[in-house]
Amino acid sequence: MTDSIGSASQAGAASATHRSSTLSEAPVLSIRGVSRTFVGQERDVVALDNVDLDVQKGEFISLVGPSGCGKTTLLRVIDGLDAADTGTIELEGKRLTGVSQDMAYVFQDINLLPWRSVRGNVELGLEARGVEKAERQRIATECLEMVGLKDVMNVPPYTLSGGMQQRVGVARALAVKPKVLLMDEPFGQLDNFTREALQAEVASLWEQLGITIVFVTHDVDESIFLSDRIVVMHRNPGRIIEILDVNLPRPRTQAEFRGEHETIELRSKITALLRSQEGGL
Amino acid sequence: MTTLSSAPQTPSVGSLGSSTGNGQAGSGGGAASGRAKLKSVSETKSWHSRATRYIAILAVLGAWQATGAFLAPVFLSTPTRSIVAFYDLMVNGTLPKAVGSSLLILAMGIVCSGFFGITLGTIMGRIQFLERALDPLVTFGNATPSIALLPLMEVWFGQGKLSAVIFIFIIGFWQMVVNTLAGMRVVRIGYRDVGVAFGMSKWEQTFRIYLPATQPFIFAGSRIALAQCTVGMILAGQELGQGGLGGIVNTYGTYFQTDNLIATIGTTCALALAMFTALRVLQDTKFRWIRATSAGRRGANSK
Repeated sequence: MTDSIGSASQAGAASATHRSSTLSEAPVLSIRGVSRTFVGQERDVVALDNVDLDVQKGEFISLVGPSGCGKTTLLRVIDGLDAADTGTIELEGKRLTGVSQDMAYVFQDINLLPWRSVRGNVELGLEARGVEKAERQRIATECLEMVGLKDVMNVPPYTLSGGMQQRVGVARALAVKPKVLLMDEPFGQLDNFTREALQAEVASLWEQLGITIVFVTHDVDESIFLSDRIVVMHRNPGRIIEILDVNLPRPRTQAEFRGEHETIELRSKITALLRSQEGGL
Repeated sequence: MTTLSSAPQTPSVGSLGSSTGNGQAGSGGGAASGRAKLKSVSETKSWHSRATRYIAILAVLGAWQATGAFLAPVFLSTPTRSIVAFYDLMVNGTLPKAVGSSLLILAMGIVCSGFFGITLGTIMGRIQFLERALDPLVTFGNATPSIALLPLMEVWFGQGKLSAVIFIFIIGFWQMVVNTLAGMRVVRIGYRDVGVAFGMSKWEQTFRIYLPATQPFIFAGSRIALAQCTVGMILAGQELGQGGLGGIVNTYGTYFQTDNLIATIGTTCALALAMFTALRVLQDTKFRWIRATSAGRRGANSK
Protein backbone atom coordinates (compact mmCIF):
# COMPACT_ATOMS: atom_id res chain seq x y z
CA MET A 1 0.00 0.00 0.00
CA THR A 2 1.35 3.35 -0.87
CA ASP A 3 2.21 5.68 1.91
CA SER A 4 1.13 9.23 2.22
CA ILE A 5 2.10 10.96 5.41
CA GLY A 6 1.30 14.50 4.54
CA SER A 7 4.33 16.69 4.50
CA ALA A 8 5.17 19.72 2.47
CA SER A 9 8.71 18.59 1.97
CA GLN A 10 7.78 15.38 0.19
CA ALA A 11 7.15 15.52 -3.51
CA GLY A 12 3.54 16.50 -3.61
CA ALA A 13 2.15 14.63 -6.58
CA ALA A 14 3.92 11.34 -6.07
CA SER A 15 3.09 10.93 -2.42
CA ALA A 16 -0.44 12.25 -2.35
CA THR A 17 -1.98 10.51 -5.32
CA HIS A 18 -2.39 6.79 -5.62
CA ARG A 19 -3.93 6.16 -8.93
CA SER A 20 -0.56 5.22 -10.30
CA SER A 21 -2.31 3.79 -13.30
CA THR A 22 -4.54 6.68 -14.25
CA LEU A 23 -2.66 9.89 -13.60
CA SER A 24 -3.56 11.46 -16.87
CA GLU A 25 -5.89 14.01 -15.36
CA ALA A 26 -5.01 16.69 -12.90
CA PRO A 27 -6.77 16.33 -9.58
CA VAL A 28 -9.98 18.26 -9.21
CA LEU A 29 -9.10 19.18 -5.65
CA SER A 30 -5.59 19.88 -4.46
CA ILE A 31 -4.88 20.35 -0.77
CA ARG A 32 -1.39 21.43 0.20
CA GLY A 33 0.21 22.06 3.53
CA VAL A 34 -3.00 22.78 5.38
CA SER A 35 -2.59 23.40 9.09
CA ARG A 36 -5.06 24.56 11.66
CA THR A 37 -4.55 24.96 15.36
CA PHE A 38 -7.32 25.78 17.81
CA VAL A 39 -6.01 27.93 20.62
CA GLY A 40 -7.60 26.85 23.85
CA GLN A 41 -7.58 28.05 27.42
CA GLU A 42 -5.51 25.21 28.77
CA ARG A 43 -3.79 23.94 25.68
CA ASP A 44 -3.71 24.30 21.94
CA VAL A 45 -5.23 21.63 19.77
CA VAL A 46 -3.44 20.95 16.51
CA ALA A 47 -6.46 19.94 14.47
CA LEU A 48 -4.55 19.71 11.21
CA ASP A 49 -0.82 19.41 10.75
CA ASN A 50 0.49 20.05 7.27
CA VAL A 51 -2.04 17.96 5.41
CA ASP A 52 -1.58 17.18 1.72
CA LEU A 53 -4.21 15.47 -0.36
CA ASP A 54 -5.28 15.18 -3.97
CA VAL A 55 -8.81 14.29 -4.93
CA GLN A 56 -9.38 12.93 -8.43
CA LYS A 57 -12.31 14.00 -10.53
CA GLY A 58 -15.34 11.79 -10.11
CA GLU A 59 -13.95 9.73 -7.27
CA PHE A 60 -15.59 8.91 -3.99
CA ILE A 61 -13.07 9.48 -1.24
CA SER A 62 -13.63 9.11 2.49
CA LEU A 63 -11.88 10.65 5.43
CA VAL A 64 -11.94 8.22 8.31
CA GLY A 65 -10.71 8.59 11.82
CA PRO A 66 -11.64 8.96 15.48
CA SER A 67 -13.37 12.10 16.66
CA GLY A 68 -11.04 15.02 16.98
CA CYS A 69 -8.77 13.90 14.17
CA GLY A 70 -9.50 16.98 12.15
CA LYS A 71 -11.56 15.39 9.41
CA THR A 72 -14.48 17.78 9.84
CA THR A 73 -12.06 20.68 10.17
CA LEU A 74 -10.42 19.62 6.93
CA LEU A 75 -13.76 19.43 5.17
CA ARG A 76 -14.74 22.87 6.37
CA VAL A 77 -11.40 24.29 5.30
CA ILE A 78 -11.87 22.74 1.87
CA ASP A 79 -15.26 24.39 1.50
CA GLY A 80 -14.02 27.66 2.87
CA LEU A 81 -16.26 27.67 5.92
CA ASP A 82 -13.20 27.84 8.13
CA ALA A 83 -9.87 29.35 7.27
CA ALA A 84 -6.69 27.36 7.58
CA ASP A 85 -3.67 28.82 9.31
CA THR A 86 -1.38 27.73 6.52
CA GLY A 87 -1.72 25.96 3.22
CA THR A 88 -3.78 26.22 0.06
CA ILE A 89 -6.81 24.62 -1.49
CA GLU A 90 -7.04 24.46 -5.26
CA LEU A 91 -10.15 23.56 -7.15
CA GLU A 92 -9.42 22.63 -10.77
CA GLY A 93 -6.16 24.46 -10.51
CA LYS A 94 -7.60 27.68 -9.17
CA ARG A 95 -6.74 28.77 -5.68
CA LEU A 96 -9.71 29.17 -3.36
CA THR A 97 -10.39 32.17 -1.20
CA GLY A 98 -13.45 32.15 0.96
CA VAL A 99 -16.43 29.92 0.44
CA SER A 100 -16.44 28.05 -2.82
CA GLN A 101 -19.53 28.25 -4.98
CA ASP A 102 -18.52 25.14 -6.90
CA MET A 103 -18.69 22.89 -3.88
CA ALA A 104 -21.68 22.07 -1.72
CA TYR A 105 -21.79 20.94 1.88
CA VAL A 106 -24.02 18.41 3.60
CA PHE A 107 -24.05 18.97 7.34
CA GLN A 108 -23.92 16.47 10.16
CA ASP A 109 -26.66 18.37 11.98
CA ILE A 110 -28.66 18.57 8.79
CA ASN A 111 -29.55 22.22 9.49
CA LEU A 112 -32.74 22.70 7.57
CA LEU A 113 -34.38 26.07 8.14
CA PRO A 114 -37.68 25.39 9.94
CA TRP A 115 -39.37 28.52 8.67
CA ARG A 116 -39.12 27.35 5.09
CA SER A 117 -40.86 24.48 3.38
CA VAL A 118 -38.84 21.50 2.19
CA ARG A 119 -38.67 22.90 -1.31
CA GLY A 120 -37.88 26.34 0.05
CA ASN A 121 -34.87 24.85 1.79
CA VAL A 122 -33.64 23.18 -1.38
CA GLU A 123 -34.00 26.47 -3.26
CA LEU A 124 -31.74 28.28 -0.81
CA GLY A 125 -28.51 28.02 -2.73
CA LEU A 126 -30.25 28.90 -5.97
CA GLU A 127 -31.73 32.02 -4.44
CA ALA A 128 -28.29 33.13 -3.40
CA ARG A 129 -27.14 32.64 -6.97
CA GLY A 130 -29.92 34.82 -8.30
CA VAL A 131 -31.80 32.12 -10.14
CA GLU A 132 -35.35 33.15 -11.02
CA LYS A 133 -38.29 31.79 -9.14
CA ALA A 134 -39.78 29.50 -11.76
CA GLU A 135 -36.40 28.01 -12.63
CA ARG A 136 -35.52 27.65 -8.94
CA GLN A 137 -38.67 25.73 -8.26
CA ARG A 138 -38.12 23.50 -11.23
CA ILE A 139 -34.58 22.60 -10.20
CA ALA A 140 -35.58 22.12 -6.58
CA THR A 141 -38.41 19.82 -7.56
CA GLU A 142 -36.03 17.85 -9.74
CA CYS A 143 -33.54 17.39 -6.93
CA LEU A 144 -36.25 16.37 -4.51
CA GLU A 145 -37.39 13.81 -7.03
CA MET A 146 -33.85 12.47 -7.20
CA VAL A 147 -33.90 11.77 -3.48
CA GLY A 148 -37.46 10.51 -3.60
CA LEU A 149 -39.09 13.31 -1.65
CA LYS A 150 -41.23 15.02 -4.26
CA ASP A 151 -44.39 14.23 -2.31
CA VAL A 152 -43.38 16.24 0.73
CA MET A 153 -42.22 19.30 -1.13
CA ASN A 154 -44.44 21.75 0.68
CA VAL A 155 -44.35 20.54 4.25
CA PRO A 156 -42.31 22.12 7.02
CA PRO A 157 -39.05 20.19 7.45
CA TYR A 158 -39.51 19.46 11.14
CA THR A 159 -42.40 17.15 10.34
CA LEU A 160 -40.04 14.79 8.54
CA SER A 161 -38.02 11.97 10.02
CA GLY A 162 -34.27 12.35 10.41
CA GLY A 163 -33.53 10.28 7.35
CA MET A 164 -35.89 12.28 5.19
CA GLN A 165 -34.49 15.52 6.51
CA GLN A 166 -30.99 14.53 5.56
CA ARG A 167 -32.21 13.57 2.12
CA VAL A 168 -33.46 17.13 1.83
CA GLY A 169 -30.00 18.23 2.92
CA VAL A 170 -28.52 16.22 0.08
CA ALA A 171 -31.06 17.63 -2.38
CA ARG A 172 -30.19 21.14 -1.21
CA ALA A 173 -26.55 20.50 -1.94
CA LEU A 174 -27.18 18.91 -5.33
CA ALA A 175 -29.43 21.79 -6.41
CA VAL A 176 -26.48 24.09 -6.93
CA LYS A 177 -24.86 21.55 -9.27
CA PRO A 178 -21.55 21.43 -7.38
CA LYS A 179 -18.36 20.03 -8.81
CA VAL A 180 -17.49 18.51 -5.47
CA LEU A 181 -19.94 17.33 -2.83
CA LEU A 182 -18.67 17.54 0.73
CA MET A 183 -20.48 15.36 3.23
CA ASP A 184 -19.73 15.67 6.92
CA GLU A 185 -20.80 12.50 8.74
CA PRO A 186 -24.21 12.98 7.14
CA PHE A 187 -25.73 9.81 8.55
CA GLY A 188 -24.19 10.02 12.00
CA GLN A 189 -27.43 10.95 13.69
CA LEU A 190 -29.57 8.30 12.06
CA ASP A 191 -30.41 4.78 13.07
CA ASN A 192 -28.72 1.82 11.42
CA PHE A 193 -31.48 0.91 9.00
CA THR A 194 -31.90 4.45 7.72
CA ARG A 195 -28.16 4.83 7.50
CA GLU A 196 -27.74 1.76 5.32
CA ALA A 197 -30.60 2.81 3.07
CA LEU A 198 -29.13 6.27 2.62
CA GLN A 199 -25.67 4.87 1.98
CA ALA A 200 -27.08 2.90 -0.92
CA GLU A 201 -28.88 6.01 -2.17
CA VAL A 202 -25.76 8.13 -2.04
CA ALA A 203 -23.80 5.44 -3.86
CA SER A 204 -26.38 5.28 -6.61
CA LEU A 205 -26.64 9.08 -6.88
CA TRP A 206 -22.89 9.23 -7.18
CA GLU A 207 -22.85 6.73 -10.01
CA GLN A 208 -25.74 8.49 -11.71
CA LEU A 209 -24.31 12.00 -11.55
CA GLY A 210 -20.60 11.28 -11.84
CA ILE A 211 -19.91 13.86 -9.16
CA THR A 212 -16.82 13.98 -6.93
CA ILE A 213 -17.61 13.25 -3.28
CA VAL A 214 -15.48 13.84 -0.20
CA PHE A 215 -17.12 11.97 2.65
CA VAL A 216 -16.25 12.25 6.33
CA THR A 217 -17.15 9.41 8.67
CA HIS A 218 -15.99 7.53 11.71
CA ASP A 219 -17.73 4.38 10.51
CA VAL A 220 -15.14 2.19 8.86
CA ASP A 221 -17.65 -0.09 7.17
CA GLU A 222 -19.48 2.87 5.73
CA SER A 223 -16.30 4.18 4.20
CA ILE A 224 -15.46 0.79 2.68
CA PHE A 225 -18.93 0.42 1.21
CA LEU A 226 -18.96 3.83 -0.41
CA SER A 227 -15.44 4.80 -1.38
CA ASP A 228 -12.84 4.40 -4.05
CA ARG A 229 -10.18 5.51 -1.63
CA ILE A 230 -10.06 5.83 2.13
CA VAL A 231 -7.93 8.45 3.85
CA VAL A 232 -7.11 7.26 7.36
CA MET A 233 -6.47 10.13 9.71
CA HIS A 234 -5.41 10.45 13.26
CA ARG A 235 -5.59 13.18 15.83
CA ASN A 236 -3.22 15.20 17.90
CA PRO A 237 -1.83 16.30 15.70
CA GLY A 238 -4.42 15.81 12.99
CA ARG A 239 -2.76 14.22 10.02
CA ILE A 240 -3.14 11.57 7.34
CA ILE A 241 -1.67 8.23 8.32
CA GLU A 242 -2.35 6.36 5.11
CA ILE A 243 -4.52 6.33 2.03
CA LEU A 244 -5.95 2.97 1.00
CA ASP A 245 -7.53 1.90 -2.26
CA VAL A 246 -10.81 0.04 -2.14
CA ASN A 247 -10.78 -2.66 -4.78
CA LEU A 248 -14.34 -3.79 -4.54
CA PRO A 249 -16.32 -3.94 -7.76
CA ARG A 250 -19.35 -1.75 -8.24
CA PRO A 251 -22.24 -1.68 -7.81
CA ARG A 252 -21.87 -2.81 -4.23
CA THR A 253 -24.68 -4.12 -2.07
CA GLN A 254 -24.90 -4.00 1.71
CA ALA A 255 -25.51 -7.69 1.94
CA GLU A 256 -22.64 -8.83 -0.26
CA PHE A 257 -19.87 -6.41 0.51
CA ARG A 258 -19.50 -7.43 4.12
CA GLY A 259 -18.48 -10.93 3.25
CA GLU A 260 -15.89 -9.93 0.66
CA HIS A 261 -12.29 -10.78 1.39
CA GLU A 262 -11.20 -7.30 0.42
CA THR A 263 -13.60 -5.74 2.88
CA ILE A 264 -12.37 -7.84 5.78
CA GLU A 265 -8.76 -7.08 4.93
CA LEU A 266 -9.39 -3.39 4.64
CA ARG A 267 -11.31 -3.23 7.83
CA SER A 268 -8.61 -4.94 9.83
CA LYS A 269 -5.96 -2.81 8.20
CA ILE A 270 -7.76 0.42 9.01
CA THR A 271 -8.59 -0.62 12.55
CA ALA A 272 -4.99 -1.60 13.10
CA LEU A 273 -3.81 1.76 11.81
CA LEU A 274 -6.19 3.61 14.06
CA ARG A 275 -5.34 1.53 17.10
CA SER A 276 -1.63 1.81 16.59
CA GLN A 277 -1.89 5.55 16.99
CA GLU A 278 -3.88 5.44 20.20
CA GLY A 279 -2.38 6.90 23.35
CA GLY A 280 -2.38 10.49 22.29
CA LEU A 281 -5.05 12.83 23.53
CA MET B 1 -52.21 16.88 30.96
CA THR B 2 -52.81 20.24 32.52
CA THR B 3 -49.11 20.77 33.00
CA LEU B 4 -48.61 20.89 29.26
CA SER B 5 -50.70 24.01 28.89
CA SER B 6 -48.63 25.87 31.41
CA ALA B 7 -45.27 24.72 30.08
CA PRO B 8 -42.83 27.61 29.56
CA GLN B 9 -42.68 28.91 26.03
CA THR B 10 -39.46 29.54 24.25
CA PRO B 11 -37.93 31.85 25.21
CA SER B 12 -39.34 31.97 28.67
CA VAL B 13 -39.32 35.68 29.28
CA GLY B 14 -42.42 36.17 31.37
CA SER B 15 -45.24 35.94 28.89
CA LEU B 16 -48.88 36.69 29.56
CA GLY B 17 -51.41 34.94 27.42
CA SER B 18 -49.74 31.57 27.72
CA SER B 19 -50.91 28.58 25.80
CA THR B 20 -54.42 27.39 26.33
CA GLY B 21 -54.18 24.44 23.99
CA ASN B 22 -54.61 21.18 25.81
CA GLY B 23 -54.86 19.19 22.64
CA GLN B 24 -51.17 19.58 21.84
CA ALA B 25 -50.43 16.48 23.92
CA GLY B 26 -48.78 13.88 21.71
CA SER B 27 -50.84 10.92 22.70
CA GLY B 28 -50.10 8.97 19.54
CA GLY B 29 -49.10 5.40 18.93
CA GLY B 30 -50.25 2.16 20.45
CA ALA B 31 -53.22 -0.03 19.72
CA ALA B 32 -56.51 1.57 18.85
CA SER B 33 -58.05 0.60 22.14
CA GLY B 34 -55.04 1.97 23.97
CA ARG B 35 -55.40 5.23 22.14
CA ALA B 36 -59.10 5.44 22.94
CA LYS B 37 -58.25 4.88 26.58
CA LEU B 38 -55.66 7.63 26.57
CA LYS B 39 -58.06 10.04 24.93
CA SER B 40 -60.77 9.50 27.45
CA VAL B 41 -58.33 10.01 30.28
CA SER B 42 -57.17 13.34 28.91
CA GLU B 43 -60.73 14.33 28.08
CA THR B 44 -61.81 13.60 31.61
CA LYS B 45 -58.93 15.51 33.08
CA SER B 46 -59.50 18.60 30.95
CA TRP B 47 -63.18 18.51 31.81
CA HIS B 48 -62.15 18.41 35.43
CA SER B 49 -59.78 21.33 35.14
CA ARG B 50 -62.26 23.42 33.21
CA ALA B 51 -64.98 22.74 35.73
CA THR B 52 -62.61 23.66 38.54
CA ARG B 53 -61.76 26.92 36.83
CA TYR B 54 -65.35 27.98 36.32
CA ILE B 55 -66.34 27.03 39.83
CA ALA B 56 -63.44 29.03 41.22
CA ILE B 57 -64.43 32.11 39.21
CA LEU B 58 -68.04 31.80 40.32
CA ALA B 59 -66.96 31.39 43.93
CA VAL B 60 -64.93 34.59 43.80
CA LEU B 61 -67.77 36.50 42.19
CA GLY B 62 -70.16 35.12 44.74
CA ALA B 63 -67.95 36.14 47.63
CA TRP B 64 -67.55 39.59 46.09
CA GLN B 65 -71.29 40.01 45.68
CA ALA B 66 -71.95 38.94 49.23
CA THR B 67 -69.29 41.20 50.76
CA GLY B 68 -70.21 44.13 48.57
CA ALA B 69 -73.82 43.96 49.66
CA PHE B 70 -72.77 44.65 53.25
CA LEU B 71 -70.39 47.54 52.59
CA ALA B 72 -71.16 50.95 51.24
CA PRO B 73 -71.15 50.86 47.46
CA VAL B 74 -68.17 53.19 47.37
CA PHE B 75 -65.74 50.58 48.63
CA LEU B 76 -66.31 47.39 46.76
CA SER B 77 -69.40 47.76 44.65
CA THR B 78 -70.78 44.43 43.50
CA PRO B 79 -70.56 42.38 40.32
CA THR B 80 -74.12 43.16 39.48
CA ARG B 81 -73.73 46.91 39.88
CA SER B 82 -70.51 46.85 37.91
CA ILE B 83 -72.16 45.03 35.05
CA VAL B 84 -74.99 47.53 35.02
CA ALA B 85 -72.44 50.36 35.05
CA PHE B 86 -70.60 48.68 32.19
CA TYR B 87 -73.75 48.48 30.16
CA ASP B 88 -74.58 52.12 30.82
CA LEU B 89 -71.10 53.30 29.91
CA MET B 90 -71.20 51.33 26.69
CA VAL B 91 -74.57 52.69 25.74
CA ASN B 92 -73.80 56.33 26.42
CA GLY B 93 -70.58 56.03 24.46
CA THR B 94 -68.08 56.85 27.19
CA LEU B 95 -66.35 53.49 27.17
CA PRO B 96 -66.22 52.98 23.41
CA LYS B 97 -64.76 56.45 22.96
CA ALA B 98 -62.21 55.93 25.70
CA VAL B 99 -61.23 52.53 24.36
CA GLY B 100 -60.87 53.88 20.85
CA SER B 101 -58.76 56.79 21.97
CA SER B 102 -56.49 54.65 24.08
CA LEU B 103 -56.10 51.93 21.51
CA LEU B 104 -55.14 54.50 18.92
CA ILE B 105 -52.20 55.85 20.88
CA LEU B 106 -51.22 52.34 21.91
CA ALA B 107 -51.20 51.15 18.32
CA MET B 108 -49.19 54.07 17.07
CA GLY B 109 -46.68 53.84 19.88
CA ILE B 110 -46.21 50.12 19.80
CA VAL B 111 -45.98 49.75 16.03
CA CYS B 112 -43.29 52.41 15.86
CA SER B 113 -41.43 50.91 18.79
CA GLY B 114 -41.61 47.50 17.15
CA PHE B 115 -40.31 48.69 13.82
CA PHE B 116 -37.46 50.82 15.16
CA GLY B 117 -36.67 48.46 18.02
CA ILE B 118 -36.33 45.42 15.79
CA THR B 119 -34.31 47.42 13.30
CA LEU B 120 -31.84 48.63 15.88
CA GLY B 121 -31.63 45.20 17.49
CA THR B 122 -30.88 43.65 14.11
CA ILE B 123 -28.25 46.20 13.24
CA MET B 124 -26.55 45.78 16.57
CA GLY B 125 -26.77 42.03 16.23
CA ARG B 126 -25.04 42.02 12.87
CA ILE B 127 -22.46 44.75 13.36
CA GLN B 128 -20.32 43.91 16.36
CA PHE B 129 -18.75 47.33 16.58
CA LEU B 130 -22.13 49.02 16.88
CA GLU B 131 -23.26 46.51 19.44
CA ARG B 132 -20.33 47.29 21.66
CA ALA B 133 -20.74 51.02 21.17
CA LEU B 134 -24.46 51.18 21.84
CA ASP B 135 -24.74 48.51 24.50
CA PRO B 136 -24.33 50.87 27.50
CA LEU B 137 -26.99 53.15 26.06
CA VAL B 138 -29.41 50.28 25.60
CA THR B 139 -28.77 48.94 29.09
CA PHE B 140 -29.35 52.37 30.56
CA GLY B 141 -32.48 52.98 28.55
CA ASN B 142 -33.91 49.60 29.37
CA ALA B 143 -33.27 50.00 33.07
CA THR B 144 -35.00 53.34 33.41
CA PRO B 145 -38.42 52.92 34.99
CA SER B 146 -40.98 54.39 32.63
CA ILE B 147 -42.87 56.24 35.33
CA ALA B 148 -39.85 58.40 35.98
CA LEU B 149 -40.05 59.62 32.42
CA LEU B 150 -43.55 61.01 32.67
CA PRO B 151 -42.62 64.48 33.94
CA LEU B 152 -39.94 64.61 31.27
CA MET B 153 -42.52 63.87 28.60
CA GLU B 154 -44.62 66.69 29.87
CA VAL B 155 -41.72 69.11 29.82
CA TRP B 156 -40.57 68.12 26.34
CA PHE B 157 -43.80 67.39 24.54
CA GLY B 158 -46.47 68.93 26.71
CA GLN B 159 -49.75 67.20 27.23
CA GLY B 160 -51.93 65.35 24.79
CA LYS B 161 -51.67 62.66 22.16
CA LEU B 162 -48.15 63.27 20.88
CA SER B 163 -46.69 63.08 24.33
CA ALA B 164 -48.60 59.88 25.03
CA VAL B 165 -47.49 58.19 21.82
CA ILE B 166 -43.86 59.07 22.43
CA PHE B 167 -44.11 57.80 25.98
CA ILE B 168 -45.49 54.47 24.82
CA PHE B 169 -42.91 54.33 22.06
CA ILE B 170 -40.04 54.72 24.49
CA ILE B 171 -41.38 51.96 26.73
CA GLY B 172 -41.76 49.48 23.91
CA PHE B 173 -38.61 50.45 22.04
CA TRP B 174 -36.09 49.27 24.61
CA GLN B 175 -37.88 45.96 25.06
CA MET B 176 -37.80 45.25 21.35
CA VAL B 177 -34.15 46.20 21.02
CA VAL B 178 -33.05 44.07 23.93
CA ASN B 179 -35.02 41.03 22.90
CA THR B 180 -34.13 41.23 19.23
CA LEU B 181 -30.49 41.58 20.13
CA ALA B 182 -30.70 38.59 22.48
CA GLY B 183 -32.16 36.53 19.67
CA MET B 184 -29.53 37.64 17.19
CA ARG B 185 -26.78 36.55 19.52
CA VAL B 186 -28.00 32.97 19.79
CA VAL B 187 -28.89 32.17 16.19
CA ARG B 188 -27.89 28.54 15.75
CA ILE B 189 -24.40 28.18 14.34
CA GLY B 190 -25.73 25.54 11.98
CA TYR B 191 -28.11 28.03 10.40
CA ARG B 192 -25.35 30.58 10.04
CA ASP B 193 -23.17 27.93 8.40
CA VAL B 194 -25.92 27.17 5.92
CA GLY B 195 -26.10 30.82 4.91
CA VAL B 196 -22.36 31.08 4.45
CA ALA B 197 -21.95 27.69 2.78
CA PHE B 198 -24.57 28.36 0.14
CA GLY B 199 -23.18 31.69 -0.84
CA MET B 200 -25.59 34.18 0.64
CA SER B 201 -24.47 37.77 0.88
CA LYS B 202 -24.37 39.42 4.30
CA TRP B 203 -27.59 41.22 3.47
CA GLU B 204 -29.33 38.04 2.41
CA GLN B 205 -28.09 36.27 5.51
CA THR B 206 -29.57 38.98 7.71
CA PHE B 207 -33.03 38.84 6.19
CA ARG B 208 -33.26 35.19 5.26
CA ILE B 209 -31.49 33.57 8.18
CA TYR B 210 -30.82 35.83 11.15
CA LEU B 211 -34.14 37.66 11.23
CA PRO B 212 -36.37 34.60 10.84
CA ALA B 213 -34.28 32.75 13.42
CA THR B 214 -34.85 35.64 15.84
CA GLN B 215 -38.61 35.60 15.46
CA PRO B 216 -39.24 33.63 18.68
CA PHE B 217 -37.39 36.31 20.61
CA ILE B 218 -39.24 39.05 18.79
CA PHE B 219 -42.51 37.48 19.82
CA ALA B 220 -41.37 37.18 23.40
CA GLY B 221 -40.29 40.80 23.38
CA SER B 222 -43.61 41.82 21.86
CA ARG B 223 -45.51 40.19 24.68
CA ILE B 224 -43.50 42.06 27.28
CA ALA B 225 -43.70 45.30 25.33
CA LEU B 226 -47.45 44.90 25.01
CA ALA B 227 -47.84 44.47 28.74
CA GLN B 228 -45.67 47.44 29.57
CA CYS B 229 -47.10 49.66 26.88
CA THR B 230 -50.63 48.96 28.05
CA VAL B 231 -49.60 50.25 31.45
CA GLY B 232 -48.05 53.23 29.74
CA MET B 233 -51.29 53.80 27.88
CA ILE B 234 -53.21 54.08 31.12
CA LEU B 235 -50.55 56.23 32.72
CA ALA B 236 -50.55 58.55 29.75
CA GLY B 237 -54.27 58.94 30.09
CA GLN B 238 -53.95 59.79 33.72
CA GLU B 239 -50.89 61.98 33.78
CA LEU B 240 -50.49 63.40 30.32
CA GLY B 241 -54.02 64.63 29.97
CA GLN B 242 -54.63 62.29 27.15
CA GLY B 243 -58.00 61.10 28.32
CA GLY B 244 -58.93 57.67 27.12
CA LEU B 245 -59.16 54.84 29.60
CA GLY B 246 -56.61 56.37 31.93
CA GLY B 247 -58.48 59.59 31.99
CA ILE B 248 -61.85 58.15 32.90
CA VAL B 249 -60.27 55.87 35.50
CA ASN B 250 -59.00 59.01 37.17
CA THR B 251 -62.39 60.68 36.98
CA TYR B 252 -64.29 57.76 38.41
CA GLY B 253 -61.73 57.44 41.17
CA THR B 254 -61.97 61.08 42.06
CA TYR B 255 -65.74 61.00 42.23
CA PHE B 256 -65.90 57.67 44.06
CA GLN B 257 -67.90 56.06 41.27
CA THR B 258 -66.61 52.64 42.14
CA ASP B 259 -68.97 50.72 39.90
CA ASN B 260 -67.90 52.73 36.85
CA LEU B 261 -64.32 52.32 37.95
CA ILE B 262 -64.57 48.58 38.16
CA ALA B 263 -66.35 48.41 34.84
CA THR B 264 -63.53 50.39 33.23
CA ILE B 265 -60.82 48.31 34.85
CA GLY B 266 -62.56 45.15 33.73
CA THR B 267 -62.74 46.48 30.19
CA THR B 268 -59.05 47.30 30.22
CA CYS B 269 -58.32 43.78 31.41
CA ALA B 270 -60.41 42.24 28.70
CA LEU B 271 -58.71 44.41 26.12
CA ALA B 272 -55.26 43.40 27.24
CA LEU B 273 -56.26 39.75 27.22
CA ALA B 274 -57.65 40.09 23.71
CA MET B 275 -54.43 41.62 22.43
CA PHE B 276 -52.30 38.90 23.98
CA THR B 277 -54.54 36.25 22.48
CA ALA B 278 -54.26 37.91 19.09
CA LEU B 279 -50.48 37.80 19.35
CA ARG B 280 -50.59 34.17 20.35
CA VAL B 281 -52.91 33.30 17.49
CA LEU B 282 -50.62 35.08 15.08
CA GLN B 283 -47.66 33.10 16.28
CA ASP B 284 -49.48 29.81 16.14
CA THR B 285 -50.85 30.29 12.65
CA LYS B 286 -48.21 32.13 10.67
CA PHE B 287 -45.18 30.99 12.64
CA ARG B 288 -45.99 27.44 13.59
CA TRP B 289 -42.38 26.40 13.43
CA ILE B 290 -41.58 28.34 16.59
CA ARG B 291 -43.65 26.08 18.75
CA ALA B 292 -42.88 22.97 16.77
CA THR B 293 -39.15 23.33 17.19
CA SER B 294 -38.94 24.72 20.71
CA ALA B 295 -36.68 22.76 23.04
CA GLY B 296 -38.08 19.55 24.31
CA ARG B 297 -40.48 18.87 21.49
CA ARG B 298 -40.19 15.91 19.24
CA GLY B 299 -38.70 16.93 15.93
CA ALA B 300 -36.58 19.64 17.44
CA ASN B 301 -32.93 19.48 16.52
CA SER B 302 -31.75 20.53 19.89
CA LYS B 303 -28.07 21.00 19.16
